[in-house]
Amino acid sequence: MIERTPILNVATHLILVVGLAIAFVPMWLVFVAASLTIQEINTPPISLIPGNQLLVNLAEAWNRAGLGDKLLNSLFVAVMVASGKIFIASLTAFAIVFFRFPGRMLVFWMIFVTLMLPLEVRIVPTYAVAANALAPAQAVLEITGIAWLWRMLTGVELALEWNLLNSYTGLVLPLVATATGTFLFRQFYLTIPAEIVEAARMDGAGPLRFLRDMLIPLSKTNMAALFTIMFIYAWNQYLWPILVTTDRVNYGTAVMELKRLIPTAAATGGGTPDWNVAMAGCLIVMLPPLVVVALMQRYFVRGLIGADK
Amino acid sequence: MENRAYFRTVWLGIALVVPQALLVLTFFYWPTGAALFWAFTLEQPWGGGSQFVGFDNFVAIFEDSYYWSSVVRSLIFAVAASLLAMGIALTMALFCDRQLRGYAYYRTALVWPFAVAAPAAAVAFRYVFAPEAGVFSALNQIYPNLWNPAMNGNHAMIMIIIAYAWKYVAYNFIFFLAGLQAIPRALVEAGAIDGAGVLRRMRDIQLPLLTPTFFFLLVINLTDSFVDSFGIIDITTEGGPAKATTLMVYKIYFDGFKGLDYSGAAAQSIVLMLLVIGLTVVQFRYVERKIHYK
Amino acid sequence: MKILRRAALALAVTSLLGAATDASAQQRIKFELWQGLTGDLGERVNDVCKRFNDSQKEFEIVCISQGSYDEAVQNSIAAFRAKKQPTIVQVFDAGTADLMLSGAFYPAKRLMADHGHTVDWDRYIKGVANYYATSKGELYSFPFNSSTALFYWNKDAFAKIGKIEAPKTWEEVETVSRQLKAAGYACPFAFEYDTWQIMEQFSAIHGQPIATKGNGYEGLDAELVFNKTRFVDYVKFLKKGYDEGIFAIKVKETGATIGEAFGAGDCQMTQMSVASHGTIGKIAKPGMNWDVAMLPVFAGTQRVNSLVGGASLWALSGKSKDEYRGAAAFFNFIALPESEEYFSTVTGYIPVTNPGFKAMMDKGFYNAAPFKGREIALAQLTASEPTPVSRGIRLGGFIQIRKETRDALQLIFANRVGVEAGLDQAVERGNTILRRFEKTYAGKQLP
Repeated sequence: MIERTPILNVATHLILVVGLAIAFVPMWLVFVAASLTIQEINTPPISLIPGNQLLVNLAEAWNRAGLGDKLLNSLFVAVMVASGKIFIASLTAFAIVFFRFPGRMLVFWMIFVTLMLPLEVRIVPTYAVAANALAPAQAVLEITGIAWLWRMLTGVELALEWNLLNSYTGLVLPLVATATGTFLFRQFYLTIPAEIVEAARMDGAGPLRFLRDMLIPLSKTNMAALFTIMFIYAWNQYLWPILVTTDRVNYGTAVMELKRLIPTAAATGGGTPDWNVAMAGCLIVMLPPLVVVALMQRYFVRGLIGADK
Repeated sequence: MENRAYFRTVWLGIALVVPQALLVLTFFYWPTGAALFWAFTLEQPWGGGSQFVGFDNFVAIFEDSYYWSSVVRSLIFAVAASLLAMGIALTMALFCDRQLRGYAYYRTALVWPFAVAAPAAAVAFRYVFAPEAGVFSALNQIYPNLWNPAMNGNHAMIMIIIAYAWKYVAYNFIFFLAGLQAIPRALVEAGAIDGAGVLRRMRDIQLPLLTPTFFFLLVINLTDSFVDSFGIIDITTEGGPAKATTLMVYKIYFDGFKGLDYSGAAAQSIVLMLLVIGLTVVQFRYVERKIHYK
Repeated sequence: MKILRRAALALAVTSLLGAATDASAQQRIKFELWQGLTGDLGERVNDVCKRFNDSQKEFEIVCISQGSYDEAVQNSIAAFRAKKQPTIVQVFDAGTADLMLSGAFYPAKRLMADHGHTVDWDRYIKGVANYYATSKGELYSFPFNSSTALFYWNKDAFAKIGKIEAPKTWEEVETVSRQLKAAGYACPFAFEYDTWQIMEQFSAIHGQPIATKGNGYEGLDAELVFNKTRFVDYVKFLKKGYDEGIFAIKVKETGATIGEAFGAGDCQMTQMSVASHGTIGKIAKPGMNWDVAMLPVFAGTQRVNSLVGGASLWALSGKSKDEYRGAAAFFNFIALPESEEYFSTVTGYIPVTNPGFKAMMDKGFYNAAPFKGREIALAQLTASEPTPVSRGIRLGGFIQIRKETRDALQLIFANRVGVEAGLDQAVERGNTILRRFEKTYAGKQLP
């Protein structure tokens, strides 16, 4: 579309440049901070021009937090959360939108409600569940009397235990148990014209074939979008990983190490305020999600535009 | 939406929801149930025992004027942060979607803050808004205390709203831009042929068609601002000065996990949960209507 | 999918490596210590653990930082409830009352006796030990990293106004501040809202109670009284100086903490933990001359000992016999004079036993920089026999009470409320917290 709107075009660029400034200035300061010495960073006013200590600080942060292993852990957890989420959410949304079964809306609301309660407010009981993920199942067996029956029949005490602490499963599963993706897929499935479904049924396609041949190809961009979101969501977690991994050497993630790099000056602690190293660590930890966004964005946005043309 | 039920294989439908239902029961409802139980008891933090106290915990929080002010602050924060993040994102998306020269660069550059971890963003904003070191230091030298989030609660509130909204601008931008690009070009072109200018087309064609996206994002933004503000607050203000930025979720965290008052925190989280559920249900019904009956 | 494959590969490699380490360490008895320190200080605690592991072959202690003192307590509670607790946990001053009532620990004295270690409990410096001991003086946990607040002053700035000594009274601080201001220093004296420095140290040194019942040692029904003591005068004094522009507030939200502002040479006097002594040495502007002194008192006050800050190590209940043997061996190890010297060398913390301190004095540890000055912390902690109000603070919900007081101070200095009204409110809210705590532990008594 070619229109001559020179004034509006200038205004458009101005507006977008303001947007760029909003996005970049804070992170520029992080970058600058990561390149200063400890004296420089503790001497106000804060410098706007980078110093020459960037590599030194990066190396220090890398070694101090053992970031090599931690980055791999984070990567694995983030990929598993994102994939698990896509798998589970697309199945659930499929069932809710395209099937009728008793309790369908109940299940939908049951899952939807999980959007609303943050992990923070139920962290202690969730931790107890992670220590033994089968505790709820055990309780159900006790209450229904199945456990008693089992004891009577076999003479063996029924004690289910599945410890998730210090494991990748423990890091991943609770993050998958939310509604984000389900909601997204449901919204998308609802926009699929009835004619397509009718056509599939005319062809005699069963539900699973419909899922495989129609829905999944149509959902590719949604899946890519969800993958990006969940990857970043999982990568940026820090409260849950800190709780569930006490064995930081083997299961620590990058962001929780970042938190450890940040000096806390409690009255009685008083760590060295080496924010330059913390900022350098921050840069390293920030990088992988940025790479994912950069890579996925092309696919994600082009896919959306492509669908239009 | 009832007429959408096309497959009648009941067992398959059930089988497909089982994985998520199990996960949600185990990692969400079971722990939430435990929290609910605590809300009606006085729980000893180290697990030494608990006693049933009925609604005492709720009475205690409702009688506490500080609790009510945390509710009010949460609402202010939710509305302000959501509108700010969505407003900027919508503006950027609308103008970016004009696809002038440099479009791809703008698009890329506006999206990436979405990937920055909240602790990192919070730390960055601590620097930006520090009264003596950041961008305000020069102004503060001329007019002392013109900007001081450490002393002035309103300044602190503005700071956390901006720090929080910063990340969500990118998030909203992604969805708005996607929404705009899902609008058939033909519609916009038809508008142009009818003689509608750029701004007019934005107002009369693009904005109305963005309504579903807008409401979807509003739900997400409001609920997230209630629960996701925690990281920002913890790193920038820790709820201060003098509780000026103690939102509901931060108070729950502080009372429960720092103050070791699990029961009081559990009661508060039940209230927060009801509040957010209520808001979402209202919005959700509204969204449904917008999409299907308008 | 490539990412996924590589991650899976990495996973396989890590688990292999993990298995290899397990195998080599199999013969040693492993047990965990969760600590609350991070950054540099956290690393130093890990060094102590490493020294213990190198000193013997039987046990292996695994020391894990939980991020902060709060989190160490919080995570230990979560772990304890899930029966996955560590053998030893580092618990800070304010968490002591909760733990004492929990019954979730193995008392220090019994632990050592049960495992054949004879400990001379009188070795511990009284001012340190009493903070963690029961009202009868029995130690339930081991004092570990201990500090107290000191007065930091910039010698260069003092030289400019012709002074060579640190102020001994708060009145002098005021006079000197005015002179420094006149000499062109923008921030003569810096302070922050931290109640450990402002309220707790001040009250102890001036012999003022914070709560009734011996600051809570004698019973859960204690009530806060700090709105009726000389602490009120002290807040008024700070407020007056702040309004006059000779005292300044430096907190991290303003861009620089008191330590950072002092180290940068922007503020010429401040009060903070001796644990920061090493930090200031590292961040101070090159060539800056500074020193520490005892905290000032109001003129005419008989000085009482100051309060210890820091944390103690608790053995939690519910672990195996072998793990407790290891814990006992570790406690024995850290109380050795050479261990104490090591830890005080690499941190700003002070030794916690009399023999440890004496050995370091005899060796001339405190005679030269960078350690010179830290002995003042000991002198201040032992300035008198601990009195019922200076042995420590044993209040439930003390973390919340500190927060309420801090909030009140913020309101007072922001001119939103008067000094008395603000403190009255903090006391009222604090007492509500105390009553709630009492109800939670109904029928229990502090040992």
